[in-house]
Amino acid sequence: MNELIAVSTGLFAGTITGIVPGAGVMVAMIIATPLLMSFDVIQLLLFYMSLASMVQFTGTIPAVYLGVPGETNSLPAVVEGTKFNKRKMAKLAIGISAIGSVLGSFVAVAITFTLLTVLISHMTVFFSNDTKFYLYIFVIAFCLLVYNKRNIIVNLLLCLVGFALSVPGESDISPEFRYTFGIEDLQFGVPWIPVLIGFLIVPTIAKMVSSNNPNVFLPNVNIGFCKVVKYFKKKCIPSSLRGSVIGYLCGFVPGVSTVLSTNTSYSFEKKLHPDTPSKLLVASETANNSGQFASMLPLLLIGIPITGSEVVLYSLLVDAGWSPFQFDNITNNADMIFRQIVPWFVVANIVGLIVAWPLAKQVLNVFSMSKKYMIAILGIGMLVLNTYLGILDYRLLLYTICLFVFSCLGLLIKKYETVPLIFMFILGNDIEGVFFRQMLI
Amino acid sequence: MKKLIIVLLTLFFTTVSYAETITVINSGKAGGSFNARTQMYKDGLIEQGYNVVFLNIGKISQAVKMFKEADEPTIMVYATNQVYKQNLFHTEENFIMLEYQQPLYICRTNTSKDKTVGLTVAHGKGYDPKLLTSLLGNNITLVPYKNSGAMLKGILGGDVDMMVNNQGKSFKYMASGEGTCEPSDKLPTMEATVIGINIDVQGIREVIYNISISGPFAEYHTSRKLHRPIGSWQDELALAQSGEKGYLIKK
Repeated sequence: MNELIAVSTGLFAGTITGIVPGAGVMVAMIIATPLLMSFDVIQLLLFYMSLASMVQFTGTIPAVYLGVPGETNSLPAVVEGTKFNKRKMAKLAIGISAIGSVLGSFVAVAITFTLLTVLISHMTVFFSNDTKFYLYIFVIAFCLLVYNKRNIIVNLLLCLVGFALSVPGESDISPEFRYTFGIEDLQFGVPWIPVLIGFLIVPTIAKMVSSNNPNVFLPNVNIGFCKVVKYFKKKCIPSSLRGSVIGYLCGFVPGVSTVLSTNTSYSFEKKLHPDTPSKLLVASETANNSGQFASMLPLLLIGIPITGSEVVLYSLLVDAGWSPFQFDNITNNADMIFRQIVPWFVVANIVGLIVAWPLAKQVLNVFSMSKKYMIAILGIGMLVLNTYLGILDYRLLLYTICLFVFSCLGLLIKKYETVPLIFMFILGNDIEGVFFRQMLI
Repeated sequence: MKKLIIVLLTLFFTTVSYAETITVINSGKAGGSFNARTQMYKDGLIEQGYNVVFLNIGKISQAVKMFKEADEPTIMVYATNQVYKQNLFHTEENFIMLEYQQPLYICRTNTSKDKTVGLTVAHGKGYDPKLLTSLLGNNITLVPYKNSGAMLKGILGGDVDMMVNNQGKSFKYMASGEGTCEPSDKLPTMEATVIGINIDVQGIREVIYNISISGPFAEYHTSRKLHRPIGSWQDELALAQSGEKGYLIKK
């Protein structure tokens, strides 16, 4: 019964978190902390696992319908999902993403079960600077080679702009604040939400405004679930399996985990099938779920959190009596994963699939109104979101200025794919640290 | 009935107006020790009948800025390893209590036991490189990491031969069986403190001290094996002031 309570509340929190743009697993964990303080260790793990899994399902809905990323790992879903939406096929996008996510989760469990012994003895390989270094080389190469019709110069410029935006503030390797130009608020870096809104959402809104199609928000082709399954079986299984494996491996990389999973899988698939949105979407969404499961394993097996939300979970686990030193306990932990966590993980994924499908329909109904109203709502929503996060971060003025500046820049470069810019902005600091250490080691 | 409501309302507002208001600044991120400790002080103060204004800042630099600019009674958890970077030192005016003290540990991998030259040493980006080379020799390569967690992952991943890390992460590394750690008596110790502004530090010390020895705090200190030095307010201040000098980075 206790487990059911934890899973149910996790699924509920995940549903809400997924459909609220800008809210992520970490925010949900912090908000739920008062409730979680009464949970025991297993309940905490189940809550987190259900929450994180559910977010991957419902997070696709605003990404596809509105072009708004729920989290930084929803970026490929935004880029490819909006292509479906323009063709009034948003429901198909939601469907294949959800099926792909379930498959990704199951593949992740299967890999873990098959390779558990190898995984335990070699898990720390993923923590090494070498691994991160080569992964980043791979990702940068893809950023340069696959976007904007393979125009390397444009992609390079976008990467450089993204990296430049990641530079102000404190770096990963030095305690000094740099390039803050005397602005105290810049000591904490350029805020990410105005960058995402400016370079991703504003260009999307601009395209919608200039579009002659009044039904741009009307994904009015109603597709039955069976047809979606058939479509998935026919076109998406290889992409989904590739995404599962890539996502799983990248999921172990500390700090970037699912962001790396989705974007690496997306970039790899784009190289193979540059003009097939369904394969690209499925590959990245599958990788997301697979990576999510993998990212939990270092914490569950050896007690080392590798993502921000896991740090919050870890702190709650220790408060609930979990020993912070899990290295002596690996066999018991592995047993716990397969006996107490995986069965509920399977349930959570099935519920995710069941919820995401009708929920998508409800969201579709809400969005089936006049295009100009929807654009106005989207614009105001983004402004409110930016203001709200600015207040929470005590940097409202900087958020507002950044939103204005990046929106103008976003409009200027609206004809380009801005994924390389955003990717380098998000990972720039980490990439700098990894490359610097690689020179030293 | 009307009179009864008036009496009850008067009583309620009287209580509220007598409750002392105190601002608690949370300078730590969720999941971190600053955050956990601040939450416990907040809960303790509320239990003691204080009206707590909780400012959840989450970034130490911003929190220090707000602390310095505060014009109401305000407290904040702090540590000696931050003083130079934040330009906020422990003084008679702001020091309330020393909560615990821990040494830095030097850890070494089992595989590098016989290695004598070309040692790579992981350290936090805020550590003084000169101090580390003076202790460990000039023949080492210092490898900076973002924080203690990143260092632990780095040494477990095989990036480096040694690391200089805090007590918690060093205990964890020892538990992995991959290497050994020793507390250093040459590297600076870290003192976790509570500081205040616009407040009678001696008066609030008693309240804060009682909270810090209560149930959740005692459990927190025991589970993390944190050492609490015993002494008067003057002794604790002297310890904090001497500890903070160890973090001066010589240019």
